[in-house]
This record gives sequence, structure tokens and C-alpha cells, in this order.
Amino acid sequence: MTQPLIRVDRVNKTFGTQHVLRDVSTHFNAGEVTVILGSSGSGKSTLLRMLNRLETHDSGRILLDNQEVGDDPRSLASLRRDVGMVFQQFNLFPHLTVLENVTLAPRRVHGTPRAAANAKAMELLKRVGMDAHAHKHPFALSGGQQQRVAIARALAMEPKVMLFDEPTSALDPEMVKEVLDVMKQLARSGMTMIIVTHEMGFAREVSDRVLFLHQGDIVQDRSPAEFFEQQDNPRIRAFLGQVAH
Amino acid sequence: MNLSLPSWPASWGRQARSSATMAVAGSVLVLILWLMAIPLSWAPEPIGPNAADFAEGTRVTVQLTLVAGLAGVLIGFLAAMGKLSKVAALRWLAGVYIWVMRGTPLLVQVLFVYFALPSLVPSLQLSDFTSACVALALNVGAYNAEAIRSGLLAVHKGQMEAAKSLGMSNWHTFIDVTFPQAMKVALPSLVNNVVSLLKDSSLAYTIGVVELTNVGNRVQAATFQPMPTLVTTAIIYLVLTTVMTQISDAVERRYDVEGRQP
Repeated sequence: MTQPLIRVDRVNKTFGTQHVLRDVSTHFNAGEVTVILGSSGSGKSTLLRMLNRLETHDSGRILLDNQEVGDDPRSLASLRRDVGMVFQQFNLFPHLTVLENVTLAPRRVHGTPRAAANAKAMELLKRVGMDAHAHKHPFALSGGQQQRVAIARALAMEPKVMLFDEPTSALDPEMVKEVLDVMKQLARSGMTMIIVTHEMGFAREVSDRVLFLHQGDIVQDRSPAEFFEQQDNPRIRAFLGQVAH
Repeated sequence: MNLSLPSWPASWGRQARSSATMAVAGSVLVLILWLMAIPLSWAPEPIGPNAADFAEGTRVTVQLTLVAGLAGVLIGFLAAMGKLSKVAALRWLAGVYIWVMRGTPLLVQVLFVYFALPSLVPSLQLSDFTSACVALALNVGAYNAEAIRSGLLAVHKGQMEAAKSLGMSNWHTFIDVTFPQAMKVALPSLVNNVVSLLKDSSLAYTIGVVELTNVGNRVQAATFQPMPTLVTTAIIYLVLTTVMTQISDAVERRYDVEGRQP
């Protein structure tokens, strides 16, 4: 990879008196799966949410495909078209059916005709194993099913990168696997993914790279093999001991 | 009281059933307004001879309710947007409007629009019917504003974030995501407000609008028979509010995708 897809350069963020990100610099390459780990309050979700500007940064720069991430409405719109996001709480639109959830943005943002958007959506729903539920409303689905629809919804905009903000944290244990399986399949297809998670097994198996955040700093940036097998940092070892299962 | 009409075939879907109820109740309302003079004229003294007046008064009452109700929803929506606006001046303006309209009697507002407004702005010499509509719309608008505002606030922040993360514009986020969910929350209160409005429209009587209450009172005064005339008046109001509640229940059920209502 010659040119990183996303560059984060000395980014700072404070909430009130709390300094949640301190001079964070890193980059994300196209086709790479990055897992961001860290204890609660370490700034990992904030960093992720800055990448599509659901959170603003106080100083520093974020570049996606050499476009500055900022408040300019036109570049913000194109940024968000290129960056898909999956949320902890799914955030499906409850008043719309599964199919309408997936087709809404392509129809409104790209002006895709309804028939074409439906065809594309059914293809994506099939990919996440939800095509049989296309005409249900979200309330009728389990958490795992809702999250798979949410992934299909984000993919419908054909993003260059997918952000996952603790995608399995709100799920019952028996539903975690079905969501992780979809994410694995997505990773194998070459999608650029940045994932905040506590699923260590998934991180070890699927990721190309692990970032560990602590109190707003990137403490480690390693391959999963190095991070999990040869961990020399006592604090991270303690963290891994606590979350391992 | 829940007056359930005979239910539709169970094989019909929720939307089909509620659409059918809306269509039937809507037609019933039109039929009542159109043909009610005929059954009323069969009634004994003093109703029969005054049937046409009762029918005309009822039509005026429904007109007042529809005009003020529609305008009131629009005003309520604008005031709710004002109250949630980022612009401090708009928030203040909407706040003052709601404060004044909810804090003063509707009767005073009706009298004010009809008598005091022309002396303030001479060009605003409105007819009695228009004055009543303006006062009723402004009044119900303030209550609607609070209903719509709480609906908008009830929509989870994650919904807007999801829409934005999909690249949707602020406009589409509002129209396709926020607004439909907010209206579902606000609907029961809005319906309540419009049913109240139907009854409150009787205050138009004080500025001389010949609506249902006015007709009832005139007939009562002319015939010295308060009992049958006022009972007839009350029954007509009751029929109107019942039909209206049937329509609004059907609307609520139509948007109840979660099937929470029995």
C-alpha cells in the first residue's frame, strides 16, 4: 500500500475538562482490517466517530483520500458516502421495513430508481442471510438479525471503508457469532474495516493490525500475532486477562 | 369510551383494516353533514321545524374545526421547530407565543381577535367566522407545538446519526427519518387537541358565528324548551367527536407497525 486511505494527524479532543484524545496520529490503509482495543473511556469510539465526523476534532487533521474531514457541507456529504458505519445499538429506522431501511439512502442520496435499489438491496440482504426477512419491520427481528441488516444498509452505499462501533456489545451471546461471521466474510472480500470491539478471538483471527488506546493515546500499534502472543506491556496483559474468555 | 364498530375480516392486514375504517368513518361524516336535516326534520317540536338550522350550524362547526385544525397543526409544527431552533431569537419568539396562548383564556383570545385586533391594525377587520378560525388556530397551535416538540425530542439521537452516516442530507434525514417517528409519538396528543378544538369552537358563538351551539341556544330561547334543544345539540357534538375519534384511532393503528395496539 503506497498511499494510506485515511490519515489522522496529531488530533486532539476534549469533552469539558476531559482530554479524550491526545495528539493522536495514525493511518489506515485500503484493504486493511484494523481493530481498536482499549478500556472504556480510552477514546476509541471517539476516534472512530471522528472519521465520519459524527464527532468533531478540536485540533489536528484527518484526511480521507486526501480530502480534509471538516465542516464544508459538500466534502462532508461525499465523505459520509464513502464511509459506512455500524452502531452498537443498530439504529435501524423502526418505521421502515428491512428493505426500505437498506434502500432509503441509495434512493435519496444517489437517486437510484426504486426497482434498481430493491434489486441491489435484496442481493446484499442475501449476503448477510436476511433476504427472507426483507418485508419485516426491525422490531420483529432479533438483535443479531438487526445488526446484519444494519451492515447491509451501510454496504448499500458502496463505501470505501466500514466503521464498526462495538457491533456486538449489545447482543445476546448466542447472536454474536452470526454478526461476526458476516464481518469475517466482509473482511475476506477485501473491505477496508476499522472495528472497535471487545471480541478478542475475532480480533486475533481477522484483523491485520491492532491499535491499543489508553487514556487518549495510541499505546501500541502491532500485528495481532505480536499483540496477543508476545505482549510485553504489563498493563495490556492485565487488560487482556480481564476481557479474555 | 371505546365504541368499536363491527370488526373487519381477520384476513385483512392491519393497514387494510385501518384504511377501511378511515374510509367508512370519513364517508359517515360527509353523509351526516349532507343529509342530517332529513332525520332531524322527523323529530317533534321544537327540533323538527328547526332541522335545517341545526344542520347548517353543524356544518359551520365542522368547518371551523377543519380550518382551525389544519392551520393549527401547521402553526404547531412551525412553533415546535422554532422552539428547537439553533437561533435564539426564534426560540424566544416561539416560547412567547406558546406562553401567551396557553396562559390566557380562549374566550379572551376569540374576543381579542374580533374586537381588539381591528383597533390595533385597521386592515385586520375580519369577519366573525375568520376571526374565530384565527383565534382557534392560534390557540390549538400552541398546544400542538408542545405535542410535536415532545415527539421530535423522543426520536433517538442514534437515528439521526445513522441517517447522517449514510450520507443523507439534513433535509432527507428530517423528512424520512425524524419527522415520521416524531409524528407517531405526537399523534395521540394532536388528536386530543383537535377533539378539544371541536368542542371549543362553540366559543365562536360569542362573536356571533352561527355554529351549532349558537343554533341550539337560539332555538331554546325562541321556543322556551331548553331540554330537547340542548340535548339535541349535545348529541350532535357527541356524534361528531365519536366519528372523529374513530378516524384518528384508525390513523394511529395504521402507523402502529409494532402491533402494540390490540
